[in-house]
Amino acid sequence: MRRRALAGFAAAGLALSAVPFFGLPAFYESFLYLVFHWIVLAVSWNILSGYSGYFSFGHGAFFGAGMYTTATLATKAGVPFLWTLPAAALVAAAFGIALGAVVFRLPRLRGELFALLTLAVTFVLATIVLNTPIDGGPGLVLSAVPLPAIGPSPSSTFYLLGLALALATLWIAREIQRSKLGTGLFAIHDDEDVAEVLGVPTYRYKLAAFGVSCGLAGVAGGIQAMFISYVTVGETFSIAVPLYVVLMSVLGGSRHWFGPAVGAAVVTALLYAFTASDYAVAGRAAVGMILILVILFLPEGIFGQAVRALDRRRVSAAPAIDAADLPAPAAAAPGKGEGKTLLEARGLSKAFHGVQALAGVDLEVRRGEILGLVGPNGSGKSTLINVVSGHFRPDSGRILFEGRNLAALQAHRIARTGLARTYQIPRPFAHLSVLENVALPAMFGRDALPRAEAEREARRWLAFTGLAAKATALPGELNLHQRKFLELARALASRPGLLLLDEVFSGLTHAEIDDAIRLIRAIRAQGATIVFVEHVIRAVMELTDRIVVLSYGRVIAQGDPRAVMSEPDVVAAYLGKPHA
Amino acid sequence: MLEVERIQVSYGAAPAISEVSLRIAPGELACVVGPNGAGKTTLINAIAGLHRIEAGALKLDGRDLSRLPRHAFCGEGIAIVPEGRRLFAGMSVRENLELGSYRLAARARRGESLERVCETFPILRERLEQPAGTLSGGQQQMLAIGRALMARPRLLLLDEPSLGLAPAVVLAVFDVIKEINAGGVAVLLVEQNAALALEIAARAYVLEEGRIAAEGRPEELLVQPHIRRAYLG
Repeated sequence: MRRRALAGFAAAGLALSAVPFFGLPAFYESFLYLVFHWIVLAVSWNILSGYSGYFSFGHGAFFGAGMYTTATLATKAGVPFLWTLPAAALVAAAFGIALGAVVFRLPRLRGELFALLTLAVTFVLATIVLNTPIDGGPGLVLSAVPLPAIGPSPSSTFYLLGLALALATLWIAREIQRSKLGTGLFAIHDDEDVAEVLGVPTYRYKLAAFGVSCGLAGVAGGIQAMFISYVTVGETFSIAVPLYVVLMSVLGGSRHWFGPAVGAAVVTALLYAFTASDYAVAGRAAVGMILILVILFLPEGIFGQAVRALDRRRVSAAPAIDAADLPAPAAAAPGKGEGKTLLEARGLSKAFHGVQALAGVDLEVRRGEILGLVGPNGSGKSTLINVVSGHFRPDSGRILFEGRNLAALQAHRIARTGLARTYQIPRPFAHLSVLENVALPAMFGRDALPRAEAEREARRWLAFTGLAAKATALPGELNLHQRKFLELARALASRPGLLLLDEVFSGLTHAEIDDAIRLIRAIRAQGATIVFVEHVIRAVMELTDRIVVLSYGRVIAQGDPRAVMSEPDVVAAYLGKPHA
Repeated sequence: MLEVERIQVSYGAAPAISEVSLRIAPGELACVVGPNGAGKTTLINAIAGLHRIEAGALKLDGRDLSRLPRHAFCGEGIAIVPEGRRLFAGMSVRENLELGSYRLAARARRGESLERVCETFPILRERLEQPAGTLSGGQQQMLAIGRALMARPRLLLLDEPSLGLAPAVVLAVFDVIKEINAGGVAVLLVEQNAALALEIAARAYVLEEGRIAAEGRPEELLVQPHIRRAYLG
């Protein structure tokens, strides 16, 4: 697959690089250079913003950083033009990574705040450049800088440079989309908290994507500085760059590496077709109109929609998965050391807005057991799961899992220790297929399987939970019961040693509960230890070896299910009437 | 009071429910049971005006509602506790409840309604000024039910009210449903806890694969062995 793509890229590169040798008028070479230029900007922007959903309006800043790096080095330090380009990439990437290192640590700077912040950074940078010797006001003139003769003419040299960078950018964007990094970024797009809990190192991934994105924009800026040969702050750090880049990506389709390239080509061609004639003003209106129509009728972009239509045809042709052909699910972890402490929590506390959700919980989970966690609504059961899985940090207390203190670990590291959880209200990745949803934790969990193996593993767990027929569906097409089982399959796919289940039985009919009970027994038989929060008392009584009762964030009773459920305190606080 | 006649609702090409008919008399308590994926939520959402009805009729007191805009259903006295709670997470518990009594008729009795909701769910009184998003799952379910009660509906639609509630609270919620019904409000209940639902309902419908598979008084249905097995064990 990759070899074929590489051959395709090489063929396209060779064919396109032959163009200048046919004596094309310089005007067309310059126009095509601009197309490549915008392809680089749009595709590089998309690596962070399209894949992970962090919309940056600061692409102009990184592009500008590259421009000024090349302009400064070439005019003031006499560095040959081509040698300034790696420097432009490094400066822009370093600038992006430094910004990301601060911004990505703050969870509240998601969505529109991130967009505004990156836009503000553009103007701060513009002010600095304008009022320091970097520019100082008059702008930098590069007309005296020698241009290496790569092509037969100066315009063909720019054409070839633009082409090479565009192909490199597209290749990088493609490789990232298909890599583990890309999978992680698309998961971040849909639900960053869940991605982290499933093992995706979200902070590092965002930083890496931002660095690559900014570096490529920096090179594009370096070439553009030479192309226009007169660099000013007003032209460089304008709002136009980020706006066009966003427009191109949305128009082309931002969920695919090639989408922004289509958008960039279309928009550049349209703008040129009109500005070159007497209809410049009408041209802008036309571009606006086209954007409106695409948003209305092709919400996934021109290219995105085309890919989806193709995919649908391919899926309908794919053979159905036969669950009977599949081997029994692999063992989660061999059941050695049965009965010994697997997880131990000591003095766990957590408060929200003055409500003490956990008030010093001590809890022990033994290897191989099924532990039921029950208690009134708001007693802290889900909070306990959220704290143990790293979704929240405890205010105080320790959680020892196989000897390691989880309270000090980031959530994605906790996932890699072999601990998995489900969410009470299912939180699937909405834009990933059911199969991709389940394959992701297998790729990022303890065993870190390669993609093909992770998908095989995922198919196994889909068959196990009865979702095999839904593998290619999007989670939105599932009903509540299926979404709950998708949560379960996703937790199982990482082959956890300890499984934390938050109300998997709620909303099931009597017969469906019977099926689910069989499923949980089968999971335990493979060696996993299970803690489950549940209000369906029948399931609790049939499945658990031991139960722990929480009330107001404290453990009020624990031990043998039958004994505990008949304690008067438990009946009063939780059951309402004695359990039959 | 409510007449649903042979309605059909689809997602994309496949009909989720078809030819479904049911009736609710004024002040009656009816329930719908059935396996997951049978179309229960689709049915109750269609009656609440949340889905377009493609075929059939939806009549309240003889008037056809199937062409009415969504927001007008509330004005007709229909309130729903939807699946998945759908609260306004950033607003306080009190604001969520007050939004439930948005209509003029309900607004006049807002204080009284609020008092009744807080009596039913004492934990909500303690949390009145807290953002709804910070409540636990079960507390959010209580708030969703409370918000629907604030509307003083004539017809209350409940989609899985017991979901995620502790056993003691489930009993309390069912007591409240009985009490509301005794006060003259018609209730349509979709519930997985069939044992409880059939205990309080006067009429029951079994929905399977998008169609009504059986209907009648609960005691009539419970003598059919396959229904007993599937829903009561």
